[in-house]
Parts: sequence; C-alpha cells; structure tokens
Amino acid sequence: MDPFHDYYGIEWYLILLTWSAIALGSHFYQVGTVVRLIRLGKDDDRFNSWKQRLTEFLRDWLGQRKVVQDKMAGYAHALIFWGFLLLVSDIVDLGTGGFLQVLLSNIQLDGIWNLIVDLGYAMATIGILIALYRRIIIRPAKLKGASIEGPLILLAILGIVLTAFIVEAGNMIDKGGTNYNSWEPIGVLFATQMEGMNHDTIANMVDISYWVHMILIGGFLIEIPQTKHSHLIGTVPNVMFQDHSPMGTMDPMQTDENDTAVKTDDLDFDNLTLGVNKFADFTWRQLSDGWACTACARCQDVCPAYNSGKTLNPMQIVLDVKDYGREHGSLLLAGDEPEESIVDRFTPDAIWACTTCYACVEACPVHIEHVPKLTDTRRHLVMEASDFPEELQNLFNNLERNSNPWGLGAHTRADWAEGLDLKIGEPAEYLFFVGCAGSFDDRNKKVSRATAKLLKKAGVDFSILGEIETCNGDPARRAGNEFLFQMMAETNVKNLNSLGTLKIITACPHCFHTIGKEYETYGGKYEVYHHSQILNELRKKEKLKIKDFEDKVTFHDPCYLGRIGGETEAPRGALGGDLIEMERHGTNSFCCGGGGARVWMEEDADKRVNEIRAKEAAKTGADCVAVGCPYCMTMMNDGLKSIGEDKQVKDISEILLENLEAET
Amino acid sequence: MNIAVLIKMVPDTESRLEIVDGSLKEDGFKYMVNPYDEFAVEQAVQFKEIVGGKVTLVSLFSDNTSIDTDLRKMLAIGADETIVLRQQGYRGDRPSANARILSETVKKLNADVVICGVQGIDYYQAATGPMVAHFLGIPHVSGVTNLELNGDKLTASRQIEGGLQIIETPTPILITAQKDMTKVRFPALKDIMMSKRKPFDNRDVDTKEGSDVLTTECSLPPARGGGVILEGDGPEGKVDKLIEKLKMEAKVL
Repeated sequence: MDPFHDYYGIEWYLILLTWSAIALGSHFYQVGTVVRLIRLGKDDDRFNSWKQRLTEFLRDWLGQRKVVQDKMAGYAHALIFWGFLLLVSDIVDLGTGGFLQVLLSNIQLDGIWNLIVDLGYAMATIGILIALYRRIIIRPAKLKGASIEGPLILLAILGIVLTAFIVEAGNMIDKGGTNYNSWEPIGVLFATQMEGMNHDTIANMVDISYWVHMILIGGFLIEIPQTKHSHLIGTVPNVMFQDHSPMGTMDPMQTDENDTAVKTDDLDFDNLTLGVNKFADFTWRQLSDGWACTACARCQDVCPAYNSGKTLNPMQIVLDVKDYGREHGSLLLAGDEPEESIVDRFTPDAIWACTTCYACVEACPVHIEHVPKLTDTRRHLVMEASDFPEELQNLFNNLERNSNPWGLGAHTRADWAEGLDLKIGEPAEYLFFVGCAGSFDDRNKKVSRATAKLLKKAGVDFSILGEIETCNGDPARRAGNEFLFQMMAETNVKNLNSLGTLKIITACPHCFHTIGKEYETYGGKYEVYHHSQILNELRKKEKLKIKDFEDKVTFHDPCYLGRIGGETEAPRGALGGDLIEMERHGTNSFCCGGGGARVWMEEDADKRVNEIRAKEAAKTGADCVAVGCPYCMTMMNDGLKSIGEDKQVKDISEILLENLEAET
Repeated sequence: MNIAVLIKMVPDTESRLEIVDGSLKEDGFKYMVNPYDEFAVEQAVQFKEIVGGKVTLVSLFSDNTSIDTDLRKMLAIGADETIVLRQQGYRGDRPSANARILSETVKKLNADVVICGVQGIDYYQAATGPMVAHFLGIPHVSGVTNLELNGDKLTASRQIEGGLQIIETPTPILITAQKDMTKVRFPALKDIMMSKRKPFDNRDVDTKEGSDVLTTECSLPPARGGGVILEGDGPEGKVDKLIEKLKMEAKVL
C-alpha cells in the first residue's frame, strides 16, 4: 500500500510539487537573505589550507568531536545528526514516489540502502527520546529559561521519524498479503503491529502519515533559517572556516600585503575603522557565528563573568549579532544604519565584563569566536568613541608614561633585582622578560627573585632588559587600546631585536602569549618559554634537585598558559606531579578574574570571579595554591582572603626554591 | 571667543630625582603637561564648543622636543593651535621672567580670556598666571573651581576657607584653574592623529630678566625608616606590645 495516488482527483505529485515549491522557495529565499547579511561583513581570508580544513570538518562536524564532550546532550545530538544523515536520501525516495528504490534495485543495492535508512531512523528516534527526556524530565538548570521551541521541534522530528516507519510498514502490507522486507527491521516491527488491521484503515494511516511526514519536512525547511535550527546550515561554514591562528591572538588594526602589521606611524587613519560598532564592521566569519549557534549554553556555563552575576552572557552576545541582523535586516541590506548600534545591543556593561579567558571559545562545539566580538567593540569604545571605564584612563596614561600599569617610575623597573648580580641588557643565551608585575608589584617581585635565583642556581646564562623593558601591551590591547599596545610592541621588538637574544623566559603568561604568539606580525620572532617550562626541564635534567613537598599543593592553571597557551604539563612536571587537582583544571581551568584588563577595573563586591575560584581551590583541602601568573597571584590571594581562607598562594618558582635540596 | 591657554611642561612625578652638587639633575627628566593646565585646556575647548572661536595654546620651554607628543594631545582635546616658545636655558622656577616672555606672545593674540593652571606642580609658586595678567594689564581671578559663561561675562567660583566666593567678571580676564575645574576628556585616537595636522609653531625667544627667586640649596626629603613588625605571643601579646609602644614611645595614649 502506498500513498502515491490521486486525492480528490488531484494527482499526489501535483500536491507535493506545490508544497515543495512553497517550502523550498521560502527556505532558499530566507537563506539567501542570511547569506547577503553575512556578506555585509568585512573580508577574512580563510579560504586556504583546504586539506586541514577538510580533516577538521570531518572530525568536528561529521565526527561531532566537541559536541559529545557533554555526554548526554552530546550523544543524543550525535544520534539525531548521524541518523538524519543516514536517512536523508529517503526523503528523495518518498518525494519521487519510490524512484530511488527502483533505481537501486536495478543494481541490487536497495536492500543495503533500506537497512541504512532504517538504521538512521532508529538512531534518530533514540536520540530524540534521550533529548526529550533531558529537556522535559531532567531539565538542567541552564535550560530553565529556554523556550518551548526545543521540545516542540523534537516532537516534530519524532513525527517525521514515526510517520516514515508507518509508510514503510504500509508498503509491506498489501491486499494479497504481507511481504516483509527484512532489510527494514523497524518497518517490519511496525508492520507486524498493523497487519491485523482493516486494509482501509491501513491505507488511511499510510496516506495521513505520508502527508504529515511531508508537511513536517517542508515546515522544517521554512523554519530552519528563522530559529536556532539555522545551525543545521550555519555550522558548515563555521566549522569549515575555523580560526587557524593560535587561540587568543588578535588582529592588528591594519595589515599590509605580507599580512604584517602596518607601523603605527604609517596607519591610514583617514580610511580606517577602529573596532566594531556597526553590523558591517564585523568580519563575515564573526557574523556567521550567530547562525551557527544552537543556544546550547556551554559557553554560558563556563563564563566567569556570567557565573559571577555580571551582565555578560557570551551566548547572548552571539545571538545578539544574529537577532540584530534579523531585526534590522532590510535596513542593513539597503546600506542604511539602524539607530541602535551593536554596542547598544551588547550593552557596555557586558562588553567590559569579559576577562578574555577564552573558556567560551574552548567550550563551543561549533567554533564560535565570542571573545573577539567583545574586544572589537572595546576597540571602538576606546579608540573611536573615547567612552570607557574611568579606571582604564589611568591604566592607559600609566602605560604610556611609565610603560607599566601602576605608573611607577620606569627607571625603577630593575630595582627588584638589587643584590642578585644579574646581567642587564647584555647578550646571553636567554633573556628573562620580567614583566610589569614582576618588576613593580611587591608580592610578584618575590616571584621574580625566586625565578632568577633558581635560574642562577641551575647555571642558566640569562640577562634582563632592565629600565628599557616595557609592558608587553596586553592590558592595553585587551582593554581596546590597540594603538597603545602596538606602540609598546614596537618598542619591545626594537629593544629585543637590538639585544639579539631570541630565547625568552617569562613568569607571566600574558607576556608568554603576547611576545611568543603576537609579536611576529610586529617584526619580532622569538622562542618564548614560561618559567615553568624551563624549570621543568632543569628539574628533569637534575640541574635543580627538589625535595618532596611537605605541603599539599593544588595548581591553578592560568588561562593564558593552559587553555590559551596549551601548556598544562610543564607546571605540573616542575611541581613534581604530586598535586591535588581542582575539579576544573588544565584547559578547563576557571579564570581568576584578572585577565582582559579586568584586574585594573572595579568589580562589585558581590560579583567577584576570584571568590568563585578561591572556593574551588579551598575545596581541594590543599595547604598551598600554586600559581604561574602574576594576575592569578593577586586575584587568588585576594579571593582566598575574602572567603576567609588562610591558604598560601605561591608561584611555582617560590615553591621550588623553598624545597631545593641542600647542597652536600 | 578667542581663548589663550598657557601650558607649562613639568617633570613627570615619577621621574628620577637626583641632586648633584647641591643642584637638581634634570637630564633624566621626562616631562608632562602640568595637570592644572589640562583643566584650563578642557575648559577653553568647552567654551569654544558653545560659542565658537579659537583656542591657542602657548608654552614656554627649552629646545627639548620630547614634549611635543604630549602637547599635541592638548590639541587632540580640541585646541586649534600651539605656539611653543623655545628658550635656551629655560627654567621652571622663574615666574617673573617667564611671565614677561609669555605675555609678549599672548598680547598679540588679543584673547578675550586667558586660562592657565593655578600653579605648576614642579615648584608650586602659583605666580606666573597673575604676573602674566599684570604684564597684560588685565584683571585675574585665581584658583577657580568652576567657570561659567554668561553672555559676555564670566562667573567664576572660588573655594575659600569655609565657603564659596562667586565672582562675575567682564572680559578680557585671566583665570587660573584649580583642580577639578572640569573633567578632562580622554581624546579619541582619531583626534590624536588628526591633531598632527594642526599648526604647531616653534618660535625661538631670548632669556628675559626678572626679579625671581634665587635657589640657594636643594635637598631630597629624608628617606623614610622601615616599619617595625611586633613580635609577641599570639594576637593578644602583639596588641600588648603595641599599646606599650603607643604609650611609651609615641606618647599618644
């Protein structure tokens, strides 16, 4: 029994053709509008390294690599996704009145194909049931505010699947008897249930199922571009054109034909848009993120700003881009500017709350880039609008004037090293780039001293830059002052290059990231090591002999070393490996709250990121919290104090120095 | 409205301060715009934005050009042009001689209002402004905390002991700006870049005689002694020690 007959005198295919034209027409018209909106964005040439991109696409999109990191939702999604990939050809078959089946039976492949499709429907069913169970019965906290759209869509696709089984089963039953197609086991299952029924009833069931099936699919096509289901299409370019530059790197204001940064003196300010305030200021890839987002809220779960009660929700930022585009679409496509700007939509409070820890980017299964949207709007607010938190004005002035965030006399930069007899500004195998905190902040100066002592002890040949060292520029940059960053980068590159020492050690992950991964485009290519990497090597080679610690130690991974820098092993190796780990550690570490220039901004007492992390550290029961970053040092110290814990916070180098084996 | 703003370049407060043979060693100094003068620039630009006109900056300094970037920032705030009087052997502690030179240039600008900071944060003499007014032959109101424009008159508020003095004055007038006269804007990067295209006029000037102070000796403040950390049995013991010290040594209890 099949549904391919006339209905009230109208041939089935005419009805289907009409409906298909409406559904497909609407679908492609809407998709076209979205594509035109995305094309309003600026160029971002990611059309290269095709082999790598294809591999990543197969791994991340087809293979659902990051999707399944959330076990329940992830595998439910993967089952639905893979299921639909397997069954999608059945839509062609049903739409052509069984043409595909006939075609395949000519080459004896129809059975295998039937099995694959049946398997697809079965996988999707299981996936849908798990997802419905999660959404309706479990209801995780982050789904509390989610719209009814999710369950409705799940029920709709469950409808698509169930109706397909009924049509399949109906196919097997005929007036002359039942002819089970054993290649369709689930269909057989349905057929055995339906077999005893009145044949007219079965015929009606098949007809109704067929049309419900087609109406749902068509409806789905119309719905896809309008809702979060746009991710069915949006994730394709998103995953395919994922960022290939190291995590955390930012784009210069202007680049030349060799893709290197145009010097600050040569910037073409007459034709330069600094940062983002309009929809079209984003790159196309920034815009496409909005349509790739599924609102899975994994970014929200890991965001330190969101979790400490601030206005920022990284998921909302991404959805804001899409909603803004949809709401103002006709105006934008006509080349006009809506009254409301992108900054208005994001809100300044949200923009300034980001610690640029990249936990959201790491968590996103479809390679959405949340952080650049915020740092780009910061660029606009600082360099174009001159509208930013007052505290930052001091930061910028201090950096400009004395090349450090505190504004302390630049000539006192090397005072921390007094009595250590270090080489200053002389060629050596390594340069110890101390950084501002290590040079000016009393607590962190002790870290610099400990690091220098250990290096000397192990016989490492190194020198420091002394007075001419300047901040690497990271605080200015993450706060939107790209120009100031670039001036500092140019100064440092000039000084480092003239010294000629190309191997650099630093105890600050922000220096580690910026000098190691960002300076190349400003003319400086260096081998940069975090001090934990060097200390780990020295310990391995027994140049440093360390006793077993008496204290129980936990290690807090700094964002710019672990997640962003990709180094989670060296600090653990340097510390000897016998650590108590916090629940969130390694690349999943939770920010101390100090990154993104947040350490220089006011933070409401009831919304402190560092207290959240301090509680996690306290929960381990360790005596001492080891850190590897001056911001973490300050933030963790303050955080532990304000939750009433008297645990010590020490840098890796301090712990090693205290536990050096006595010379024999 | 024509407004002239006098700007003094002063050593950055974080500069290395050294005394060699009884006199100040200045060659390690970095300079910055005297913060009180920044209020003056901002106020002048705000007036210009209301009634139109022109804001001219006048600064007297040595031929050291490292100050130019910072001076241009004042143009970025919205001033129209800068005149820098370059003087061999310029010194910041000669208000009378400096006021003579400045007034010669300012006189030619036919300014309705001359504004400058109440004092330079180098020598804190608070004298140059009033002396310029004297040489120009116009009145002045010093230490103004709030300045408003009412038609062709100015209303100036001055903080005095226990109260506020409000003065209404016609122009031309010289005003010296007290801290927080207004909030100085942070110029946007584009404004800073565009300020490079504004006139920046360097003029050589001779040294003038003035009845100024003669510095007989310079010295640095004595280094602060380190604190004392009290040892004792637990918090109680330490508090006992502290009370004893407050009684016996500090004699405040």
